Amino acid sequence: MSAPEEESRDTETVLACGEVRTCLLPTRDAVDEQVAERLLRLRADERVRLSRRPNRHAVSPDILTGVDCRLPTAGGAKIRAVGTVTARAALVEGRVLQATAHFAAPADGPDRRQPWGYYLVRPGVLVPVGRLARQAVVKGFLTGQQQDELDVGSVAESLLARISRQHRLLDYDTPLNTTDTSLRWAALPAADGEPAAPHFTVADDGRRVVELRLPRGTSPAAAATLCEDLALHDWLLTTVADKLDGLRLGSADGRAALKVLRPLVDHLLHLWMPQARVDRTLNALWQELEETPGFSRQWTSLAQRIRDQLAVQLLTRSDALTAS
Amino acid sequence: MSGPGTVFRETSAQPRTESVPFSHLSLELGHLYMEDFAEGPARLRRHFAAVRPWVDAARAAVGPLPAGKRPRISTCFLIDDYFSRLSTPAELIPPLLQAAAEAGLSIDYLARESGCAVAEPGHRDRAELAEAVLHRLVESPPPGSNGFRPPVSRTGWLTNGRRTPSHRTSAALDATGAVWEPPSETGARGHSVFVDVELWSGPEEERLWSCAFLASVWQLVRLGLLRHDGRAVLTPAPWDDKEFPAEWDALPPVVRLNPLAAPFTAYATCSVLPARFLPVEHAVRVVLDQVHVESEALRQIAERSAAEGMPVPAGIVDRTSYVFPPGL
Repeated sequence: MSAPEEESRDTETVLACGEVRTCLLPTRDAVDEQVAERLLRLRADERVRLSRRPNRHAVSPDILTGVDCRLPTAGGAKIRAVGTVTARAALVEGRVLQATAHFAAPADGPDRRQPWGYYLVRPGVLVPVGRLARQAVVKGFLTGQQQDELDVGSVAESLLARISRQHRLLDYDTPLNTTDTSLRWAALPAADGEPAAPHFTVADDGRRVVELRLPRGTSPAAAATLCEDLALHDWLLTTVADKLDGLRLGSADGRAALKVLRPLVDHLLHLWMPQARVDRTLNALWQELEETPGFSRQWTSLAQRIRDQLAVQLLTRSDALTAS
Repeated sequence: MSGPGTVFRETSAQPRTESVPFSHLSLELGHLYMEDFAEGPARLRRHFAAVRPWVDAARAAVGPLPAGKRPRISTCFLIDDYFSRLSTPAELIPPLLQAAAEAGLSIDYLARESGCAVAEPGHRDRAELAEAVLHRLVESPPPGSNGFRPPVSRTGWLTNGRRTPSHRTSAALDATGAVWEPPSETGARGHSVFVDVELWSGPEEERLWSCAFLASVWQLVRLGLLRHDGRAVLTPAPWDDKEFPAEWDALPPVVRLNPLAAPFTAYATCSVLPARFLPVEHAVRVVLDQVHVESEALRQIAERSAAEGMPVPAGIVDRTSYVFPPGL
């Protein structure tokens, strides 16, 4: 039996990794708080966390998945880890659905697998069997796993699927077509004096990669919240920019353009709200991304363009009306 | 995000976990089938006489406690009113208490097994307690489980390892050398003792929970580890009446018979049981090893027990113990 201080020391984690999947909730209209709660009620005895300020946000209880497998590593080091991956789902303004699966890992662990109860009292922690080469794991994790290696994306995906399968609550008639994104992240504690900078990479087919250096003592849950926030806003930018890309705005009657612009106004424009729930100690990371590439700058420009276009359409129409 | 400097908080966004009082030990004074009760008072007296010396031993074994501290120990008895109801509380309970008293034992808390299935029979809207625990099972992954292929569950069964892969076998195939693969216990020392536990039977709407699963819920309740939306469950109701009702459902799921008793929930449990329950309790340990308890409840217990100088083991299953005495 070990004293609590000892317990916390031996599970002090040195690395956190995860993946966020973001998609439009498959319904015509955004769902209200009551439906959001029913969608995310993954356990009978635990509440869905509901928040209304500064926007409507619902978070499911954490769901654990047991794993015992090799971690992806760069350079082919073989590191077996045992424990649980934690996953949760969130619904933003009843419109955008996100699922996050993540884990943290200590620098080393017992030389053999322990009884399962040992891992269950450390939810969301994967304990290595032996030592953890954390740089190799971060690199390997961000590059992508080989067959038989840990697959957190699948854990997030199966949670999304579980929520999207609730036919009684969803009508599957989305107002606009969007591409799902997956954002894979890995975070290491920043060395003393090292700036807490993010490296954000946008890859093809909706894949995003973020490498983070976080202030010491940042909880894996706080890192996950930050990455959910990044993923949500990246998804909004991607979706709106894709819709405007190649849109023939100057066409004689603006109906085609209106058909595209209207759902963006109805469903997405009000969702932009960076750092709504991100831990204050992580503000600096967002600021970095506001500098380059300038998330909010791009969004403001896109939103302005949509509003301008709608104004122009309106003018053109009233002109046409007066002329006839 | 929250803390002393919090400017703004929403109660619906930040869950609270109710704390419960704790004894050092919850001591269970045996368990009987309805048929045993039917055998009459002599059977009950024999039961408690056989339990008595082991109760004394279990009491003596609590600790070590810091000097000057008296152990808080509460006793309990679980009546099986779930699988059969041959008798009524009014007929069954007084002779039970009488027989215990004759052996010098007092039953502080009396619980009904159906309370472990449905916490509050009056509230059908409330989820069943057993079902809530079912949702908290996180299966122990056999080596090779990577998240893409989570542990294979077979609806309603839980194992301590990996099952024999299911092949379509026929005599002809076997003759040509299809290889049978044995099941295996995860983390076995050398050789496996593989267990596959049936958690319930019947269709989902009218599930019949297994004795092993309800016994697991019973352990979790005694260990003070279950909550519903953050609130305590199966809080003992005081019962000062000498009379007992004619209907089981008229009796609260857990009643406190001794007003001076130490708290019902405890840091550790000890159950004195007839050896015929050994397979059931092995199954209970397989289940307890795979239940994910709310972190906040665990943290409260770890802190309070450590502050009392008697820290609890981290693993839940390590908080339970058993005595299987001869002649019970």
